[in-house]
Amino acid sequence: MNLATYARRNLFRRRGRTILTLIAVALAVLIFCFIRTAIVAWNAGVDEAATDRLATRHKVSITMQLPKHYIDDIRQVPDVKASTWANWFGAKDPKKRLPFFAGFAVDQDTWFDVLDEMQVTPDVLATWKQTPNGAILGDKLAHALEVSVGDKLVINSDIYPGDWEFKVVGIYKAMRKTADRNTLLFRWDFLNNDPRAAFSKEKIGWMVSRITDSVHSADISRRIDAKFDTQDDQTQTMSERAFQLSFLGGVSAILSVFAIGSLVILLIMTLILGNTLAMNVRERTHEYGVLRAIGFPPGHILGFILGESVLVALVGGLIGIGVAFLVINLGVSPALEEAGGPFQYFRTPGYLFGVALAAAVGLGVVAGAIPAFLGARLKVTDALRRLD
Amino acid sequence: MSENPSIVTLSGINKTFYRGKEPIPVLENLDLDVPSGSFEALMGPSGSGKSTLLNIIAGLDRPTSGTVKVAGDDLTAMSDGQLAKWRSQTIGFVFQSFNLIPVLTAAQNVELPLLLTQLSGPERKKHVETALRIVGLEDRMHHYPRQLSGGQEQRVAIARAIVNDPKIIVADEPTGDLDRKSADDVLILMDRLNKELHKTIFMVTHDPAAAERATVRRKLDKGALQ
Repeated sequence: MNLATYARRNLFRRRGRTILTLIAVALAVLIFCFIRTAIVAWNAGVDEAATDRLATRHKVSITMQLPKHYIDDIRQVPDVKASTWANWFGAKDPKKRLPFFAGFAVDQDTWFDVLDEMQVTPDVLATWKQTPNGAILGDKLAHALEVSVGDKLVINSDIYPGDWEFKVVGIYKAMRKTADRNTLLFRWDFLNNDPRAAFSKEKIGWMVSRITDSVHSADISRRIDAKFDTQDDQTQTMSERAFQLSFLGGVSAILSVFAIGSLVILLIMTLILGNTLAMNVRERTHEYGVLRAIGFPPGHILGFILGESVLVALVGGLIGIGVAFLVINLGVSPALEEAGGPFQYFRTPGYLFGVALAAAVGLGVVAGAIPAFLGARLKVTDALRRLD
Repeated sequence: MSENPSIVTLSGINKTFYRGKEPIPVLENLDLDVPSGSFEALMGPSGSGKSTLLNIIAGLDRPTSGTVKVAGDDLTAMSDGQLAKWRSQTIGFVFQSFNLIPVLTAAQNVELPLLLTQLSGPERKKHVETALRIVGLEDRMHHYPRQLSGGQEQRVAIARAIVNDPKIIVADEPTGDLDRKSADDVLILMDRLNKELHKTIFMVTHDPAAAERATVRRKLDKGALQ
């Protein structure tokens, strides 16, 4: 036997209470991991945004389109290596196999040069350039829509009326874990030449430029926007990161609330743990008096109580992490990633498990601190008199 | 008895408790000499200060004034930490309600005071077996307190009190929670500890039969020895 034996045995002295506390700690850690994973997943696209790319959109709103000739003007700006553009198509699956996916009308000659997180073979690219209604899909989208190369694909749009018939010419390969594998790409000229898109003839949604030096991205952005200052349609150019963040703008407030919520969950866990410890110490006051009487110094009593608190937090934290791994990384994650949408990569990263466990243990110390301090300060004769 | 040197010497002890601002004197100008190797019983009505006196002798409480010398050490000059260490080496405690730790076996309860020493695991085990053999419970060493009778629990508590070979055993109503038969067994055991192992025993009791076992009987009333 050693001193830890006593602390360990105390853990299951009130089995029901300890199990409930362990569940509370595990649940708090699970919720913390879930919320933090959602935040990490939301920000993943932003975090992985290319630093040498700029996005240019209408100064008023992303929903307003720009004249197509702007792309030629941007390409004249010094330090801009390459530029491409895209239009939002508002794609919908008429058979409703997918609730949501992104569809873009893009420039077949330059898109893959600038957006290099999507890759196709030269053969596919050559075929696409020769096929006006050719479409290239992400592998998950192709799987969900049950099409492969050579198949016909009919898509509807929120913006453009009627059925849009494409021929699948290739599947792009996602080169980043956050790259959307549920995107439909088709040729901008196919959209532009269709009478149903007459209202947006020779218009483009936004432009993406690759620049020579990311350090000077602010200067280059200013130079691009200055080119259109006197035009009817003015532009706003920003880093790709800022562009991504502008999409998350409305969500960022919600994410902040989630972030605070995850901390509140840990605070509640601390209070539950602290309450359990306080009850345990109160019940064992007489016993601590006996230990002090036979010679155990206050530091040992402090250690017993703190050790018990940390042990509950550690065991509860480990259970929470194990459940989080099973539920998030093996359960929810594949389903969410398969469904597409905003979570292209929804996994709890290893460091987050470490943070959750460290937080649980740290808060275990905090929760146990006051009961431990009070327990250690008990006057022996008072503690011996306490019988409840 | 008086030929033996004193192991406990109290001089001019006063102890006053306070209820709010109102002082309540419990011990007044009390002197006491306990010879080494004696078996003393302290009797008296409830509230007479018996337990307070016992606590002062055992280093659990401090007098308001006066000096306390036990086993050659001046307790009034010690810090709380020094007192804790001193108690672990000098005093064996026997309580009325046994006070065994319910989650530890009899052997583990007896081993508790030894965890504060430098003894190795095998050495501790040897000491524990010896102590349990003295109290006649070596066959119950792996039993938990709930699996023992009251008398057996108190004998385990006595084993815990003697396992670190203390100079003095203080006992606060050691037979108070026991039936007559169990109480007699415990008293016989304490008598043996006094006579065979030469332990000084200072016992507070209400039980006249228990007091009869002691070689010296004292009475405390209204804070003064009579």
